[in-house]
Amino acid sequence: MRRRAFLRGAAGTGLALGAGLPSLCARLAAAAPAARLSRVEARHYVKLPDREIECRLCPRHCRLGDKERGYCGVRENIGGTYYTLVYGRVCSLNVDPIEKKPFFHFLPGTTALSLATAGCNVNCKFCQNWEISQARPEQIESIDLPPAAAAARAAAAGCPSIAYTYSEPTVFFEYMADTAIAARRRGVRSVVVTGGHIDPEPLAELLELVDAVKVDLKGFTQDFYASFVRGDLEPVLRTIRTVAKSKAWLEIVYLVIPTLNDRMDKVREMARWVRDEAGPGVPLHFSRFQPMYLLRNLPPTPVSTLEEARRTALAEGLKHVYVGNVPGHEAEDTLCPGCGAAVIARTGYRIDAVRLKKGTCERCGTAIPGVWT
Amino acid sequence: MAVSRVVVVRSPRAWTAAGAPDPAGVAAMLGRGFVRLTGRADPAAAVASLFSPADRVGIKVNAIGGKALSTGPEVALTVAAWLLQGGVPGANIVVWDRTSRELRDAGYAVGEGKYGIRVLGTDDPDQGYGPDLVAHLGVGSLFSRILTGECTASISLALLKDHGLAGLTAGMKNYFGAVHNPNKYHDGGCDPHVAEVFDAPPVKSRHRLTVLDALTVQYHKGPSFHARWAAKYGGFVLGLDPVAVDSVGWSIVEGLRAEAGLPSLEAEGRAPRYLATAARMGLGTADPAAIERVEETVT
Repeated sequence: MRRRAFLRGAAGTGLALGAGLPSLCARLAAAAPAARLSRVEARHYVKLPDREIECRLCPRHCRLGDKERGYCGVRENIGGTYYTLVYGRVCSLNVDPIEKKPFFHFLPGTTALSLATAGCNVNCKFCQNWEISQARPEQIESIDLPPAAAAARAAAAGCPSIAYTYSEPTVFFEYMADTAIAARRRGVRSVVVTGGHIDPEPLAELLELVDAVKVDLKGFTQDFYASFVRGDLEPVLRTIRTVAKSKAWLEIVYLVIPTLNDRMDKVREMARWVRDEAGPGVPLHFSRFQPMYLLRNLPPTPVSTLEEARRTALAEGLKHVYVGNVPGHEAEDTLCPGCGAAVIARTGYRIDAVRLKKGTCERCGTAIPGVWT
Repeated sequence: MAVSRVVVVRSPRAWTAAGAPDPAGVAAMLGRGFVRLTGRADPAAAVASLFSPADRVGIKVNAIGGKALSTGPEVALTVAAWLLQGGVPGANIVVWDRTSRELRDAGYAVGEGKYGIRVLGTDDPDQGYGPDLVAHLGVGSLFSRILTGECTASISLALLKDHGLAGLTAGMKNYFGAVHNPNKYHDGGCDPHVAEVFDAPPVKSRHRLTVLDALTVQYHKGPSFHARWAAKYGGFVLGLDPVAVDSVGWSIVEGLRAEAGLPSLEAEGRAPRYLATAARMGLGTADPAAIERVEETVT
């Protein structure tokens, strides 16, 4: 029986309205079935008077009344207590090459158990995963994967790391943190793929638990962030600085979007900033944009633009600059800054050759920054 | 009929002795409101001037606040009853909101009821959100299939409430419940998002009437229910100009705030700026001086 037909039979009797109107008010319905959402108290928020809360997880600091959700769509104030609705509610789960994240200087050639829940704390007009990042958890399919089960699955799959990725891991902070703890107990490492919109306190907590962070630096002007990301640049820069000073490995991706963030003077400015604030050894990936979500009117990034951006960044002193989303491009290789040898040769996500010896170039002995074992 | 006529109808019969909405009083107020809004002789004729028997009418309620603060069935189904009187077949009427759970929590029996009138949440297995992303101005959303697939005409039957972020939630913002990602439209005081969601074709092409449920008005600390700042206003606000109706709603909220000794929304930095944005976009009239406000009391 279709659910509608069943409900038709369940409709009840009505109230008298008077004034010659037909009576339509049905009996009160029974309680609704429980939704497939978690209800785990959130961390990093403060309770306020009148059942309000203020979230302190990301720079938005959503101030919410009872029954309201944050901008992320996955955290809800229920009666004055803030809850994450996505703890263990995994909507995407894959075993990916670590190069797909991309991490080029972190355990190359290995795989990462990659997972996500619904939700994001920004709204990039070029999001490639908007079906999950911009959805509420009840709108998409998910499975229940508690932290210990995620760690066990990674170990069973032979993955030396778990990647929190696809959507925005910041919004499932509690689940990510607990999974990282469970994974570490099994000798499995954790890597985070983030837009970097996170407050300093939770970031500091996270950096004690994870081994690598890739930050998407989506542009280098506040105007771009306001118009195309619905976020702010400064918190992202703060996050990059903090990760660079931590023991976690850092890589940065800059998605180059034609006409929007592809001015070479800004690319140069960004590269200088990365060099000065994060260090010249931090890998920087210039990734190719493909039209999607709300930016279907723009063409893919010309490869020549990516190459020019790479040359510009190298000229500013960055040592490891890559071209991404162009499979087979020569700038996928990791080059030794000492002798120019391809110490890691790649084709797409495939590792063709590794010519490293204890983190140094086999040919000239130059140290290559990264996490190699 | 002036496009920007807004009718505020109130009644001492709005409530039963037990403090619940009085169905007869609600029916009388709405009937009178339709008459004053359209200038027709009786409610049925008034409704018939707004909706044809061929219309499939969606009544978008706001059921997020449970029984304490939602557009309840005694109001929504009374609007539906007037549509029936005006010639719209029951099978062409659907009362809807985001989820069946919220509708049930607000007191609705979800499913098909008398005369074929349906009460549906977008999460109904036969509904959901449409597969095609609607990209319009700053909007990027999937819209409820109930709105896009079941309705040729829409009534925004909204609660009148203070809103911590937007300043005011009323008829236009009610359509946040038609998109899959309303949380993405709450920054910047919901400006220009309220206007832009309303302007999106799935809404703008269907919206025909705004009715604000002002039986209980949460004039402070909304949109959640707080008894301390919830006034038993006992009325409805009706109009065809969505911006004008909400502007009048704003003035009611400000009046109640003033009576309670609260600062204005403007003074709190929460004035609903999206109304001026909507007016600039040509969606209606925000200037009180250009709105014909009709006050009516049903005894």
